[in-house]
Amino acid sequence: MLAALSFMDSIINVSNLKKFYQVSKPEPGLLGSIKSLVNRKYEEVKAVDGISFKINEGELVGFIGPNGAGKTTTLKCLSGLLHYDSGFVSVFGFNPWERKDEFLKQIALVMGQKNQLWWDLPPIETFNLNKVIYEIPEKEYKDSLEELTSLLEVKDVINIQTRKLSLGQRMKCELIASLLHGPKVLFLDEPTIGLDVVSQKKIRDFIRAYNQKMKSTIILTSHYMDDVKELCKRIVIIDKGRLIFDGKLEEVTARFADHKIISVVFAKDVDPKKLEKIGQVREYSFPKAVFFVKREVASVAASELLQNFPIADLNIEEVPIEDIIREVFTGKNFA
Amino acid sequence: MIKKYAQIFKITFEEYFAYRLNFFLWRFRNFVSFFALVIFWLAIYGVGENVFGYEKSQMITYLIGIAFLRSLVLASRSFEISRHIRRGELSRYLLWPLSINSFWFGRDLADKSINLIFAFFEIGLVILIFKLNLYFPQSPANWIFFIVLVLLSTLLYYFLSFCISILAFWTEDVWATRWLLGIIFLEFLSGAFFPLDILPGWLSRVVYFTPFPYLVFFPLKIWLGQVAIGESFRVLAITIFWLGLFYFLSSYLWKKGFRKYGAYGG
Repeated sequence: MLAALSFMDSIINVSNLKKFYQVSKPEPGLLGSIKSLVNRKYEEVKAVDGISFKINEGELVGFIGPNGAGKTTTLKCLSGLLHYDSGFVSVFGFNPWERKDEFLKQIALVMGQKNQLWWDLPPIETFNLNKVIYEIPEKEYKDSLEELTSLLEVKDVINIQTRKLSLGQRMKCELIASLLHGPKVLFLDEPTIGLDVVSQKKIRDFIRAYNQKMKSTIILTSHYMDDVKELCKRIVIIDKGRLIFDGKLEEVTARFADHKIISVVFAKDVDPKKLEKIGQVREYSFPKAVFFVKREVASVAASELLQNFPIADLNIEEVPIEDIIREVFTGKNFA
Repeated sequence: MIKKYAQIFKITFEEYFAYRLNFFLWRFRNFVSFFALVIFWLAIYGVGENVFGYEKSQMITYLIGIAFLRSLVLASRSFEISRHIRRGELSRYLLWPLSINSFWFGRDLADKSINLIFAFFEIGLVILIFKLNLYFPQSPANWIFFIVLVLLSTLLYYFLSFCISILAFWTEDVWATRWLLGIIFLEFLSGAFFPLDILPGWLSRVVYFTPFPYLVFFPLKIWLGQVAIGESFRVLAITIFWLGLFYFLSSYLWKKGFRKYGAYGG
């Protein structure tokens, strides 16, 4: 086991992973339902269609993509919940699908839309149950419970019935339940979904601290670009079951945005027609104007502006990452 | 392992406690139908002493045996699994370093114990109200056969209901299957409504070919001393056969079905 591990440089290895679902397509109406009893038509949905990546120990990687892109399916394959159709997946040298105890004890999957807490009982009962199921030694359990509850500020709520907790409190308790056994690999699927800004930030800070302190490897999926921007150096973009980008967050801009934004404040009124020569005018209402210009000519355009117009202020900016990603997903060609 | 069972036990108990009204009403419903069944049979007996080859005390013992075995044998929380499969809630349990059977069997133990406690009081109450005489077997062999058979049939029922539950991997409407198998087959064919040998001879012989009579009917027949020793061994062997079959079937279906699991939701 150890020998095998030392040959591998990365903790998570995924190569050409494919997972197709057979979805039955009943025809509409009563007649359709009856027909489908006899002759059910299936449609193949390519949830994950040949994804490959490697993740090293201690990395915090953000998965982004629209709904149904295959992010969650990938996480489920990595945690052994789903049987994949083809490809190779290994986590610590284990095949997740075998669901060996030694593997399960080292991972955790937290899903923002799913509870693992016992709904009718206080969170502490779930914690105690996880303690025996994961065979966590008493002392270790007490220490980590103490630490996690104080970090997430939920000490006073763990004895209240789960269903009476707010969404934010519940999510924090979900995290605690998943972290008590000290997983080395953590899959977080939309951990901040539906939370208010304060709770989002709290959870974000906690994830960062946990990653740094425990040197754990984390994959995070989120709809909120803020989560990804603040936490992840590396992002993986998935769309329609395919990986379309894997690299540093900054590189996304260079890869997908072929232009920059120049915003200026004029000192005096100018003729809008003259501005057209500089680049595409996105906005003009005196004294402000915003231009989209090709990346290569951004500095030329800026100096032209400075020379030919009465400029009070000028800024060259990258396109916000949210905009780039939105445009990538909607399939529009970027200006 | 003991610790794990203790905690699963505790959490299941506490869940019941969270819904106590629900639980009490359910027990009350059980009690009423048991009560009605006893009145019905007492009316049939009237002054007569022997109906369908059963003495009055034997029939009453059979009815009380049903109430007892319903809580001990015919009770399993594993039916929850089908809902968990459909809604993707099964994922929670799959992430645990614990086999799926260990968890649900532990849960069943808690379920059975709490129901047994209540059944014990309900049965006592009915016996007091009607001043009933119970039949106890004289031969220790009958006691031993009864106890062993009940333990085996408890396991048999567990694997049977597990198999039915995990059909949810293939079909979306387990409810119908569950209703058909749960009510028609299990209750009727296991002998949980009336002793099966009051059926026409050919029909009861057909029923004996299914695994169901080994859950309730045969254990109670042995208790009543109506099965000879040699025959008891045969019953035991057949029960072990069915248990083995459903044990392997359940692990086969689980392996097959789990591949199809979609972990839906979220």
